[in-house]
Formats: sequence, C-alpha cells, structure tokens
Amino acid sequence: MTVRQTDALIDALSAAASPVKRLAPPLTRALAALAGLALIGLCAVLLLPNADPLAMRGAGGETQAGLELAAALLAGVLAVVAAFHVAIPGRSRNWLAVPLPALALWLGLSGLGCWRDLVRNGPAGWTLGHSMDCFAFIIAASLVLGLPLAWRLSRAAPIDPLPVAVLGGLGIAALSAVLLQFFHPFAVTFIDLAVHLVAVGIVILLASLLRRPMLRPA
Amino acid sequence: MAGGGTSKESWGELLAAAQRGDGVAYRRFLIAVTPFLRARARRRIHADDAVEDVVQETLLTVHRIRHSYEPGRPVEPWLAAIVARRSIDALRKSSRTGAREVHDPLAYETFAAPATNSIEAGESAKELARLMGGLPPRQREALILTKLNELSLGEASARSEQSVASLKVNVHRAIKRLRLEIGRDLLK
Repeated sequence: MTVRQTDALIDALSAAASPVKRLAPPLTRALAALAGLALIGLCAVLLLPNADPLAMRGAGGETQAGLELAAALLAGVLAVVAAFHVAIPGRSRNWLAVPLPALALWLGLSGLGCWRDLVRNGPAGWTLGHSMDCFAFIIAASLVLGLPLAWRLSRAAPIDPLPVAVLGGLGIAALSAVLLQFFHPFAVTFIDLAVHLVAVGIVILLASLLRRPMLRPA
Repeated sequence: MAGGGTSKESWGELLAAAQRGDGVAYRRFLIAVTPFLRARARRRIHADDAVEDVVQETLLTVHRIRHSYEPGRPVEPWLAAIVARRSIDALRKSSRTGAREVHDPLAYETFAAPATNSIEAGESAKELARLMGGLPPRQREALILTKLNELSLGEASARSEQSVASLKVNVHRAIKRLRLEIGRDLLK
C-alpha cells in the first residue's frame, strides 16, 4: 500500500461523510442499560413463581444475605458501567479494576456466610441437590439479561472486544446472582458457593467466546 | 494537501463537525491526523508498506466508529487506541502468515535468469487466469482493479461502483479463495 492510496482513501471516506448518531457518554448509556435490566429483573420477580425475597434464609441470616446482595449488586453495576467505558477507544484501562473490590467483598461475604452455615449446621446439606437449580438459574438469567446488554454495548463497535466481554459477562453473572437471591430457598453452603462461582465463570467464558458475533467489533 | 497546518486542539472540533456530516471538515481532520497515525504505527511496525496498511485500516476504523467520539474530550487518546489496536492486529496477522509459509524445495530447481523460467511462468499465468475465472464477478473485479491495474481504492471504487469497504472485503475474499484453490492444486 502506498501514501497515494492513503490519500485516495481519505478522499473516498470524506466523500462518504454523512451525519452519524453520536453515542451518549458511557455512564449515561450504562445507567440506561441497567435500568432496562432492572425492569427485566422486576418482571421476573413479579411474574415467576417461588419469589420470596430473602425471607427463606435461616433465622438471623437476613443481614448477611442483605450484605451479600448489596455487594453482588455493586459488583454487577460497576462491571456494567466499566464495560461501557472500555468499549470506547482511549478510555482509561483502570476501569478494568473498578468492579474488583466489590467482587472481592461479594465473594468474601459469601464465604463468611458459608462458614457460619458450616458452624451452625455441620457438613449436612453439602449435596448438589438444589445447587444445580441455582446453576441453571444463573446461566439462564445471564442469557436473558446478557442479550440486551450485548446489543447496547455493540453500538460502540468496540475495537478490543475481550475486556468489554469479560466485564459485561461479570456484570451479567453478578446481577443474575442478585436475581437468584429472590428465589433462593436455603442458606448458602460451600457447595452452593462453588456452584455459583462455576456458573459465573461459565458466563464470563461464554461472553468472551461469543464476543465477536455479540459485540460486532470494528 | 490542504489542512496540514491544523492544530491538534482543533481536531476535536473537526471530528465533531464530521459527525454532523460535514465532508470538508472530515477531510481536513483525516488529512491532519494521518501523520500522527503514521508516527504511532511506526512505534510497533517498521516496514513502510505495513505502516501504510495500518494507517489505512485505522482510517477505515475511524470512519466506522466516528460516532463513538465524545465532543469536548481529547481526540488523541481515542486515535492512539485505534491505531494501537490496528497495529497489534497487523502484527498478529503477519506472524500467522509467517507461521503458514513453508519451505519449497522446488524453488531451488529454477534458475536466476527470468528467461529460463518463461515456460513455467506462462503455465502459471494460465493457471492463475483459470482460477480467477472461477471467482465471483465482484471479487474478480476488485482484484483486477486494485492488484493487477494497481488503481487506488478511491479510483477502483469510482470505476467499479463498489464502495471502498466492499472493495477491501472482496479483495480479501478473492485472495483467500485463490490461496485455497492454489493449495488444493498443489496437493493433487
């Protein structure tokens, strides 16, 4: 390729100039997307059977469950906000680290909850029984929430789709785990936590693998 | 070219005007940023041809995602991220191509003087013509205009009524297809 061809390309591109719909700032777009996801979650809680917010937790576990819920929600919201920022070229890479403290808090609180459950109930309940339902719930909810989020993120045609997909996947998995709390029938055990983490990991992996068709990078 | 004296401070204003469909401002912007893109591409890539490829890919990407620039913010980091990504893509592509290239012992059996290879060259040309005849018309047209006639993308676009973007895609697909066909023939 030659400089002459570059000049010709500039001529062709400027001749093809047409008005484009400018993207709103990433934070505005992230908040709009989160509002849409919250609406979907609200519909699920209202319409699906067995929704019983936090009430079915063990006695005295409501505070613990509330804190876990808040930490997971914070991790999910920050991951989604970060995904919208890193989708735009030239934005700070520090956004990649923004959801990590909330993620650590979420995992820490969940681990603490598991430990308390172990002390209170012993190793009873360390079975896979309901955990597989939770696994399926997180995966299914992530698909339902992930498609509209991917559509919103793809508007930026991110040039480097991998961090966008990882952050988006983390956000969706965390928000799905929040939604799960409204259907969760028992206190979390280590087996539950492990299954939740595997589900979150699978969602992030799927998002990463599907990043090109989903995010349509430039 | 006009617009070479455009200051970096005004790049944002020009790009914002381009987002509104101002072709003159867009041209000034693209001309003004091209040396910056070239310099940035040279940080990772050394061959002049490859640098120019990266610059052109970056310009095409800028065109595609110009809606993602937020007026009021500096343009330089936005451009730098795009050219860095296209440079990395080019490096990956060239390393993949390098990994696919194989040593051909038959190459040593020909002679340095071009005349000694004229029979083989004639056969190769016929074979290439046959393979090109099998390409879809738009791919064949894109390949002939840009590679055989050595027209610029703009000139080829005007002559073929294909957009620059579709010309690039069709050339890419044509070469990919030819490579596949030639590979098949060699295996026979």
